[in-house]
Amino acid sequence: MFQFKLVLLGDSSVGKSSIVYRFVKNSFDEFRESTIGAAFLSQTIKVKESDDGEETVIKFEIWDTAGQERYKSLAPMYYRNANAALVVYDVTQQDSLVKAQSWVNELKNKVGDDDLVICLVGNKVDLCDEDAEDNKRAVGTEEARSYANEQNLLFYEVSAKTGLNVQQIFQSIGEKLFETKSEEIAAAKNRQIGSSNDHVNVQLQRASTNDPTSCCF
Amino acid sequence: MLSPERRPSMAERRPTMFSSQSHIVVPHLAGIEDPLPDSTPEKVDVLIVGTGMVESVLAAALSWQGSNVLHVDKNDYYGDTSATLTVDQAKRWVKQVNEGAYPQCYSNAKLYVSTSIANGKGKYASRDFGLDLAPRILFAKSDLLSILVKSRVHQYLEFQSLSSFHTYENDSFEKLTNTKQEIFTDQNLPLMTKRNLMKFIKFVLNWEDQPEVWKAYSERPITEILVDKFKLEKPQVFELMFSIGLCYNMNTKTPEALQRIRRYLSSFDVYGPFSVLYSKYGGPGELSQGFCRSAAVGGATYKLNESLTSYDPSTRVAYFSDGSKVSVSEKVVLSPTQAPSYNQNIPKQEYEIHRLTCIVEKSCEEWFSEGESAAVVVFPPGSLKSGNQVVVQAFILGQGSETCPQGTSIWYLSTTEQGPRAEMDLDAALEAMEASILRESSSDLENDESILQIGPNGEAMINSVRLGQSFKEYIPRENIQYLFKLYYTQYTSTPPFAVVEPSFFEMNNNPSKQMVPGASDNGVLYTAMPSAEISYDEVVTAARILYEKIVGSDDDFFDLDFEDDDDVPISKEDYENAIEDDDEDQDINMGVGRHGSTECVGEMEI
Repeated sequence: MFQFKLVLLGDSSVGKSSIVYRFVKNSFDEFRESTIGAAFLSQTIKVKESDDGEETVIKFEIWDTAGQERYKSLAPMYYRNANAALVVYDVTQQDSLVKAQSWVNELKNKVGDDDLVICLVGNKVDLCDEDAEDNKRAVGTEEARSYANEQNLLFYEVSAKTGLNVQQIFQSIGEKLFETKSEEIAAAKNRQIGSSNDHVNVQLQRASTNDPTSCCF
Repeated sequence: MLSPERRPSMAERRPTMFSSQSHIVVPHLAGIEDPLPDSTPEKVDVLIVGTGMVESVLAAALSWQGSNVLHVDKNDYYGDTSATLTVDQAKRWVKQVNEGAYPQCYSNAKLYVSTSIANGKGKYASRDFGLDLAPRILFAKSDLLSILVKSRVHQYLEFQSLSSFHTYENDSFEKLTNTKQEIFTDQNLPLMTKRNLMKFIKFVLNWEDQPEVWKAYSERPITEILVDKFKLEKPQVFELMFSIGLCYNMNTKTPEALQRIRRYLSSFDVYGPFSVLYSKYGGPGELSQGFCRSAAVGGATYKLNESLTSYDPSTRVAYFSDGSKVSVSEKVVLSPTQAPSYNQNIPKQEYEIHRLTCIVEKSCEEWFSEGESAAVVVFPPGSLKSGNQVVVQAFILGQGSETCPQGTSIWYLSTTEQGPRAEMDLDAALEAMEASILRESSSDLENDESILQIGPNGEAMINSVRLGQSFKEYIPRENIQYLFKLYYTQYTSTPPFAVVEPSFFEMNNNPSKQMVPGASDNGVLYTAMPSAEISYDEVVTAARILYEKIVGSDDDFFDLDFEDDDDVPISKEDYENAIEDDDEDQDINMGVGRHGSTECVGEMEI
């Protein structure tokens, strides 16, 4: 299983959280191991390994902004070691694509990883009906798509309300990550053997004993 | 029992969302389920100004309890007095200090930055470094650690172990004899000393229950009981007092010192064969960010770059630099660094802490234990050329901490010596560290005559000089390259190495510290500046006292559970089995660091 950190960005009320909520809710029954809590959400998907048709499980650790983007108060911790990002705008709000573009710049500035996978997501397409009189669309699909192509971003228009394309966002991010990171993953596997000099992290939820006095002293 | 005056918890306030259990249950999708309000709050329960460590823990505790919190900071970064800064941020901070932006809190900042970092054109970038204004180590058995786990804030963070404690004596670094095994196998310890040491260690783990042993010594320095009663000799006494206990001078009283020694020993082997941890990417600055994020998930509103310009205690309205205002129904909590300068009740900061932070172009791995990237070096009183009367403590972080790039390390030195002597002590300690690391890392041993010895048959032998041996005679052939050097004085109201007293927060009730009539900060709760203590010991104490002042009781301070709590600590057997399987299906965490290295999440205790 491979684990990736995915962060959400975009202005308040474009529906960042709803997209994740939809993704996690819909997949919840299928993958029982989803854990959700106040830290961040985790959700797994499966991607096909190209050669032999075998499936690989990819686990997303999804970080929501928790509202800290509203006054530009996201902490460096939020961006650190992110592998993927959803930059969300609202297709019914004219200036929200412009704001999404500034979030893309912010991301490229803050995240060191050159392989960072960014997906531009236009939300609320359920409010757009090209033939209806109350069509609320304010950002054209082609305008957003050409920006995404230019910046080498994945691009989807979705509806968190109906679920349209929501699963696909995560699926294609997963595939792209698997593709770009597979070499690194293999290298990491090899390095594990006989490497003593790696700095190992301590997992705090796993104390080795509850009674420290019983050990060693 | 919950106090009847306490504020209704989040569970009681929003019964539709939360179950009616007595403690707070965090539902699935907390922070996601509930769409956030669009506008700036006009009214909040609590306004917290400054995002330092204590304020951040308090914000998280209050948010989860159900208080409506607005948390602001005048800086464009989190952390305030506990911030982790890049080199550029440190430069700006120094400028602010010297312009008098923090009267009574910081002074006398002196900075050198090498051209290798300056201007973004050198070998290193400003953001390659994370420099803590108040570096801290975390004991494995401590109140803060349990709250980190309980609140799940630990999941935002990464921790590494620190087992290298050195005491500097006779011009050399003695490595701490850490474990029972080490005490038994140490060739240099006489049998009698080993026995006495074991006897003391057995005692100290339950010292409070044995007043017959220490009562007579309770007003006397710890040295007396160690020497008279336990027959320990100077090297062991120093090690127990200064490395294990991290005491600050020879006069530390018996109960206090016993408490400090036990803190270390009871933390040992909780997560593995070490007592102390530190967080990667930065210390308190990183933890502050984690608690602020937790508070935000719990519903708190965050605004950086926002300073409190004034507060009107009669209308309870706070005004900010961006023109906005908020009405505060309960309390304003204010960091002394962020108070409007005309405020009249700002607590007096009587004590000085002198700090020296250096970035050194040396990995300093020689000081670290295997697989680790940090060390603590203590210079006991009288051990330095300057004739220091109190300890100098040094905390060293290497590149594994991800606070500095490969081939460099950060040295944090501090002392509670007051006045101009302090800087002399810091310089003397720095010189000793320099000499030590040059000695330890010298690559041209063969050519160095000072360590060549002639064997009995006239052959040349290399005297293998390892850690712990004197480098008095050694003349280094190279110099230490400093990339960054920062001296500053921090002020605090907390006496050296004590933790903040509850009475500190009693300002408004204490007749001896009467409020200035009509002052603009009457009724405001001030937080304390960080103490000189190198551990996080005071943080939870201070946050809990403030919490109680606001909520009325600390009964439900971080009393929260998560609905999906399947991460219950697994039993010893499960744990061991899990480790056996580790080789096959270890998860690979693709959190790719700045240097493209992929880190494998493994267990420490193998």
